[in-house]
Amino acid sequence: MAKKPHQIKVRAYQADFGDCFLLTFYYKSGRDRHVLIDFGWMDEPEGASDDHFKQVARSIRDECSGKLDAVVVTHRHLDHLRGFDTKKGPGKIIAGCKPTRVIQPWTEHPKARADAKSAPGISMRAVSFVQSLTGMERVAETAVAEAQRLAARALSPGLRGVAEELEYLGKISKYSSKKSPVENLMRMSRKGRGRYVHCGGKSGFEWILPAVKVHVLGPPTLEQSCAIRTQTREHEDYWHLQARTGERAMGGAAKLFPGAATLSDARRPKSAGWFVRRMRGLRGEQLLGIVRELDRQMNNTSVILLFEVGKQSLLFAGDAQIENWLYVLHKAGHSSKVRKRLKSVTVYKVGHHGSLNGTPKSVWRLFERRSADATEPNRLRTLLSTEEGHHGNEHRQTELPRRTLVRALSTRSNLMRTDKHIPPGQLFWSEVLDT
Amino acid sequence: MSKHLPSRTVERTVIAQDPSVCADGKIIRARVAVPAEALVPGPRGCRVYVIDYDASTDTYYRPLEESKIQGDPYGDADDDRLIGEPAFHCLNVYALVMRALARFEFALGRRVSWGFYGHHLQVAPHAFADANAFYSEGDHGLFFGYFPSLDGKRTVHLCLSHDVVVHETTHALLDGLRDRYTDPSSPDQAAFHEGFADVVALLSVFSLEGVVERVIDLASPGDKANRIATKDVTVKRLRESGLLGLAEEMGQEIASIRGDVLRRSAGLPASPKWYRSDPTFIESHRRGEIFVAAIMNAFLEVWVHRAEGLGRIDQRYLPRGRVVEEGAEIADRLLTMSVRALDYTPPVDIQFGDYLSALLTADAELVPNDAKYNLREHLRRSFRAYGIEPCAATKPNDGMWLPPESAMDYDAVHFESLQRDPDEVFRFVWENRKVLGVHEEAYNRVVSVRPCVRVGVDGFVLRETVAEFVQVLELGADELAKHGIRKPKGMRSDTRVRLYGGNVLVFDEYGRLKFDVHKRLLSSEEDRQSKRLEYLWNTGHFHRKPSGYRRFAEMHHQRAFGAPIRHRQEEW
Repeated sequence: MAKKPHQIKVRAYQADFGDCFLLTFYYKSGRDRHVLIDFGWMDEPEGASDDHFKQVARSIRDECSGKLDAVVVTHRHLDHLRGFDTKKGPGKIIAGCKPTRVIQPWTEHPKARADAKSAPGISMRAVSFVQSLTGMERVAETAVAEAQRLAARALSPGLRGVAEELEYLGKISKYSSKKSPVENLMRMSRKGRGRYVHCGGKSGFEWILPAVKVHVLGPPTLEQSCAIRTQTREHEDYWHLQARTGERAMGGAAKLFPGAATLSDARRPKSAGWFVRRMRGLRGEQLLGIVRELDRQMNNTSVILLFEVGKQSLLFAGDAQIENWLYVLHKAGHSSKVRKRLKSVTVYKVGHHGSLNGTPKSVWRLFERRSADATEPNRLRTLLSTEEGHHGNEHRQTELPRRTLVRALSTRSNLMRTDKHIPPGQLFWSEVLDT
Repeated sequence: MSKHLPSRTVERTVIAQDPSVCADGKIIRARVAVPAEALVPGPRGCRVYVIDYDASTDTYYRPLEESKIQGDPYGDADDDRLIGEPAFHCLNVYALVMRALARFEFALGRRVSWGFYGHHLQVAPHAFADANAFYSEGDHGLFFGYFPSLDGKRTVHLCLSHDVVVHETTHALLDGLRDRYTDPSSPDQAAFHEGFADVVALLSVFSLEGVVERVIDLASPGDKANRIATKDVTVKRLRESGLLGLAEEMGQEIASIRGDVLRRSAGLPASPKWYRSDPTFIESHRRGEIFVAAIMNAFLEVWVHRAEGLGRIDQRYLPRGRVVEEGAEIADRLLTMSVRALDYTPPVDIQFGDYLSALLTADAELVPNDAKYNLREHLRRSFRAYGIEPCAATKPNDGMWLPPESAMDYDAVHFESLQRDPDEVFRFVWENRKVLGVHEEAYNRVVSVRPCVRVGVDGFVLRETVAEFVQVLELGADELAKHGIRKPKGMRSDTRVRLYGGNVLVFDEYGRLKFDVHKRLLSSEEDRQSKRLEYLWNTGHFHRKPSGYRRFAEMHHQRAFGAPIRHRQEEW
């Protein structure tokens, strides 16, 4: 029987508003193994050099001596996969590390692509769902464009704030299958290297990490999701419909009734003025509501992995929200075993950059290593990759990271924040754990 | 239709259902009677103001001049003009909103206010490039989106869908009648607004003979003569071919937006399990489908029962025209009955069983002899088949509200003022506070006093005054136990909670209390407040403020993209 690694190094890279983690498993006999979990960002960190992320990629390459054993891309958001861009980013460096495995959620299966005519081994229902995700990306683009267009015309002060938030949400959603990072991942996944995982299924780490148990806790399949809620074909069609609607409106000046007479601002009835102003504000809220929903749906395709070796148990949940967790916590045949495992978590990568819904309270409460005693030797370690003050709104309680969550993390765990604990100029924070 | 409305009406052309429902290749139209009034450009009358502004493209379409909007300027228009001219869209939506308003006012026997402070409901027929339509109280308006068709060749305008327009108008009307029904309270209350709006919309559509004829055509295809085979006039046939067939036609693009209400409700088999035990029917829009199914099922049963009594042609056929007339007549009657029931519903925390009791009571008051349609019995049976029983505080045999248990004290009140003055009504409430279950520590308010004159189909006149009285009590969670209310598990003792109760008092023409339809603020016999707090706690209402996004807009979007219940209690 293979001997377990005697240590694990956890390295959290400075990724501004993104995720980039490198796990190194040290084996006394045999080669060390390296797993990269996500590599993405929104903006360059403040004070960082222009080629910061190329430096990160080189650091990863050097740490793993040019050979990665696995790359995990939890879901298709910019702040988790931008680093795989070969055209404008450091993706070539990562590709050059020739990962043995590329692990992504089942929704990224190439057989479920938008242009798939058939999908052996994948239900057409699943294909339909995946294609709706593509529709969502188009919706994000059109919603952002509409909000920017309206804000640019200074039609409403409130719209500018909405446009900013929309821009953030739209930006992270805008990667379609034609974009460079996704193409790079597809290339890296060829020749049997790709694995597309789901809750309860194989992790793809079989024989990659000897003597390390890796459990896939999410995302649920469609059938597993339907145990929690009803999603029908009409719901998926809605995103395609909304995308086409937005694309048509993106024409900006395109009129619904080309021959109809219109009134300029100056000639509109005064009696309609209040209502027109209300409609503009309402439109901004609508666009936000739609884009937040698609952000939520994409986040819930996140891979959730639990690594167990010796006395260590590391939980990486991408941007998973409660809907992603519901099946494995309550409906799966092995739910009680999962809840028991979660009690022993020693390292938790905080979900979704510390958002209000990225760490479900019922999951947080399961962690038995939480402690108010900072001197407790086995205290839970939490990793938060975030950038405060850039996104969300404190008044609406959507700020990132959410201060109530941060308070819980800092008082009940050993919290490491990339925006606070990685000094400027440094690329990463790391810690070595004995197993 | 016009025999039910005020005599001063104008006939206007509207699209009977939506542009995809056609007969002989032409969009089915209807001419509907709308209260006559002098219109100014918009059109704008005394209750509705159509403002044709598109927020997605910042376009304000010029309204038709005043001289061109009186009468029925699109009476002879072809399909291209109906679809292609925004002015018709404005007139279409105006007519349907006014028709719905007039129907409510007829049923209730009085003017009906909107749920906001103002006389005009503003309507935007081309509000946004969005597959959504909704009512917003805060914005005093109805908003209808537009989007490309599935084949991309045309634009679908939700303002041209009769059932969508009436559905949204009904939200606005119900909000004016029962302000507290938009408060989160229980799965039934959350579902009631949607279910009731769907019922009014569907019955409004089916009260048009052109649409009923289409249902008959689908149920009995091929035979276009003046007869229909008796085998095609059964509940099963009308439901499966007629209603479901119409549902297929009713704008496939809209299915994802409207939740395909007609198809779902017509296709929902009668069983008590949906309401009583199936967890997928806890969600408000799914739960509302049960309500719709119960009423539509009763509609079909009554229709078939009436049709069976018509004279036969050649033993095996029924007169087609008469069958169509009966269908439209019954839908019309059921619509009036459904609206009238609102005056007999409690002011807070409505359950489906409360509405059923209100429906039965309101109809019995005005139509003591129901022999012609036997509507009440059919409704009772249909609701029971879906697991919904009348409220417990009703007569055991017929499910109707009971008269007040005790004698009331009228010594301190004036009859004339009681018909219009909230302070007078509160004087009555105060003098009878023990009997009416008024909690002296609560904040108490008479929300409305509405005199009404209702006229039955046989000319029978009923005069009543309906007064709505609400109580609010705020407590700390640590005080709940002493009132016999369970604190939800996990709720902190210092959490502040608000409890609601109230009465709808129905006085007769002599100022005597006929019915006291109540929800006691604190009652040792009911578990209502405990269940309500449990529901609010589990759905996260104590954990986070609801988002500012307009309630109906958000709910309709969630219906469209199948969003799950929000787990607020999991959020930070």
